[in-house]
Amino acid sequence: MSDSVLPYAADAEQSLTPDELLVLQRQFEREGPRARIQTKFNYAWGLIKSTKKREQQLGVRLMHEIYDEHAERKRECLYYLAIGYYKMGEYANARVYIEQLLALEPGNAQARSLRELIDQRVSRDGLIGLAVSGGAIALVGIVAAAIFKKRSQ
Amino acid sequence: MEAAQEITSTFKILMVGDSNVGKSSILLRFTDDQFLPPEETSATIGVDFKVKMYDVDGKKYKLTIWDTAGQERFRTLTSSYYRGAQGVILVYDVSSRETFEHLSNWMEELNTYCSNNDVVKMVVGNKIDKEAERQVTRKEGAEYARKHQTLFLECSAKTKIGVQQAVEELVNKIVDTPSLWRKSSPNKGTVTVNDSVPSGLGSGCAC
Repeated sequence: MSDSVLPYAADAEQSLTPDELLVLQRQFEREGPRARIQTKFNYAWGLIKSTKKREQQLGVRLMHEIYDEHAERKRECLYYLAIGYYKMGEYANARVYIEQLLALEPGNAQARSLRELIDQRVSRDGLIGLAVSGGAIALVGIVAAAIFKKRSQ
Repeated sequence: MEAAQEITSTFKILMVGDSNVGKSSILLRFTDDQFLPPEETSATIGVDFKVKMYDVDGKKYKLTIWDTAGQERFRTLTSSYYRGAQGVILVYDVSSRETFEHLSNWMEELNTYCSNNDVVKMVVGNKIDKEAERQVTRKEGAEYARKHQTLFLECSAKTKIGVQQAVEELVNKIVDTPSLWRKSSPNKGTVTVNDSVPSGLGSGCAC
């Protein structure tokens, strides 16, 4: 019945406006090294949602720190780490964190959908990789054949 | 499959309300006609999202329904999801007085982030299957809705009662309010940054 057949992670698709991100950044900077966990989480989340790789990387770093220090934030950290790595194209890492979340909550539909999204990207990029390496092998074959042909002449 | 009919418009509908009132369950009932027992569900992280095609008077509309996390820790994040919404469903649990009383917080947030008065609001009291544990009467819910000029319905995601009607009423009202969706660029709201308000991200709503 559902038309929502495609796996989807809204937070992986939508970015904040620069102004919105700036609000979160300013608050984080204002609170300094002893920033509240909520402030840090909000900023890390805003960064991960960005389309800029540099911001995504910083977001993932902050999210890792929260994950290490605050066990009660584990599930959302795992989810957003997976999204962060997914957006950065580091699918093996993205899988590590989404699998950890699914180990805690096997029935979590949001997590399942994100894993499907990651798997899709991996197989798509895998096919491209295969096509590229396939092309390379063909090229090597042509060169080798040419050399062989030359030698045998 | 028949030839793809052209989509007349895409509507963004947002669901807000306290955690555990059943927002995700209402959505799952609406899109997939399913209901999961509580032990098989998990609290929404940030936001979840579902799409459903919907026909009104022979026209096809694409509904994108955003199911926001109710937990306090995601509250700042929620404000950014209002952007571009044509409809907002405020959900409470009829068996929890507290969730009904918190509606005013959600209403305040909605009015802050949706500056356009045309945005269609609907108050929904969920879990009417728990009649014996009811703490909020139907009358109270209806009065609250009238006071805030919103649509109102009671439903049960568990028994299915009222779920389809809720979305139908909301969508029909959006369809009847062309000022909400005839604009070509729904996402170009003006953002006012106010650093002194840490609870939200400023008004980024074009709805």
